Amino acid sequence: MKKFIFGLVALVALSSHDMFLRLDTYFLAPDTAATILLYNGTFDRSDNTIDRNRMQDVSLVGNGQRMPVDTAAWTERDSTTVLHITTGVAGTYVAGVSTRPRNIAMAAEAFNNYLEHDGVVDMLATRRQNGDLGKDAVEQYSKHVKTIFQVGERRTDDWVTPLDYPIEFIPRSNPYDLQSGDSLVVLLRYRGEPLADQLVLVGSDHAHAHGNDHDHSHSEEGEDHQHTGTGMRTADDGTLTVPITSDGTWHLRTIYMTEAAEEDLTHESNWATLTFAVDHGQSHDHAVGANHDHDHSHEEAHDSGLPTFVYVLGSLLLVGTLFFFFNRKS
Amino acid sequence: MGRFFTLLALLLPLNLFAHGVSAGDQATLSEGGLFAYLFVGAKHMVTGYDHLLFLVGVIFYLSGLRDIVRFVTVFTIGHSITLIGATYLGVRADEHLIDAVIALSVLYKGFENLGGFKKLFGVTSPDLLLMVFLFGLIHGFGLSTRLQSFDLGGGGFLAKIVSFNVGVELGQVAALIPIVFLITYLREDERYAAFYKAVNVYLILAGVGLFVYQLNGYFGG
Repeated sequence: MKKFIFGLVALVALSSHDMFLRLDTYFLAPDTAATILLYNGTFDRSDNTIDRNRMQDVSLVGNGQRMPVDTAAWTERDSTTVLHITTGVAGTYVAGVSTRPRNIAMAAEAFNNYLEHDGVVDMLATRRQNGDLGKDAVEQYSKHVKTIFQVGERRTDDWVTPLDYPIEFIPRSNPYDLQSGDSLVVLLRYRGEPLADQLVLVGSDHAHAHGNDHDHSHSEEGEDHQHTGTGMRTADDGTLTVPITSDGTWHLRTIYMTEAAEEDLTHESNWATLTFAVDHGQSHDHAVGANHDHDHSHEEAHDSGLPTFVYVLGSLLLVGTLFFFFNRKS
Repeated sequence: MGRFFTLLALLLPLNLFAHGVSAGDQATLSEGGLFAYLFVGAKHMVTGYDHLLFLVGVIFYLSGLRDIVRFVTVFTIGHSITLIGATYLGVRADEHLIDAVIALSVLYKGFENLGGFKKLFGVTSPDLLLMVFLFGLIHGFGLSTRLQSFDLGGGGFLAKIVSFNVGVELGQVAALIPIVFLITYLREDERYAAFYKAVNVYLILAGVGLFVYQLNGYFGG
């Protein structure tokens, strides 16, 4: 029973724990109030808020300046952490959040499942190769997420500014110069050095509007709106060439895991994500007002997903209640 | 009482993930060969609650292994046709709409099992074998939509589709074995009638709920 409960807890703890920074719209007007959403769950849905004391760094980069963000500016909306900002002058901006490391202990089987479920296949292969699949793990993990958004019309070079997180994606060109059909080269750095042969999941929510042609690429979308992605590997120089096949919000995600040298740990993982938008089917000079409605409704549709455990518990309760009702009646 | 909840408890882990394209699945497919497609197909079926709810409804209605094999075979033929055909030809539909129709199949089965056609419309229900085949086609189209949501890469396209389909069949068998076993076992219990009604009313409610949920996703998306 203990094993079962432990497995169940581990499963819940490990499910849906990606972190992304998202905006209702990535095209904002200058000097306008805006919100940046910190999703902790999946790309489509946030399952938990993040405590302020977990934040190691919260930064906004724009017009050549890196500005620390006051954590008092964070609020919580249901399960989503929300940062309220006011945009400045026009330019391409970067926002980033880096969390402090945390430790988690896992039984061997739960750990293997997590590696498989989250696509940390290299470490799983290493464990298999070394005959370590039966060994429990104590993992130290931290997450480092970035988003790039456009304010007004003017493009600036802030997208290339590194935030010097342990692991981070840095584009080689401005994502807001891209159109569908272009490619974006992105450098993946780990502790300041290019990270080669690392698995990265690339996906998008490819903008669409019902009533129009549904040009789904269907390479990234899942039924319960878990937009995941295509697995790609970084080249020897740590770069990744991402084909931008459609307009929409794009996301890159990777988990780099190593065996830990510390005595109390077995593994260390650093998680990185990057989000940005390509055109979104709107003219770039349409800022908040113009495309907000479409984007917002799209977001809400994804956010409204019913957590599976609610469905399962609700189903059990419902069948149980119906059974008692019919049994009593008969 | 315990045995009724044993069935529910056994169904619980099948439902935990719901079915969808996860990062792990895409990575598995990207890294693995045909076996990866077989694995993801099986996993998708085992965790796909709408397919399983429909099959639970079908199994409830049947008695005897021969009947079960016959109906499951027809369902398998139906969904294999559209799964392989639609994927190979690149035919697809909006996932919310196809899942909404699949939700209606769950509703339909619960309604039929409770004698809804006779009670409400005063007619006998349509031929079940034919309906299972038709719904099989629809479920297969849903599975195809899901498969097409993966990046299948280049080369060996048909082999990948067939592998996924074989995986779906294996997953279906794996899911059906405990369901058939337990429903057969429960038939001997004096409270089976109450359980039968409870589960089939639940199928109707779940069908309605999933239908509304998918339409909300379609119109809200």
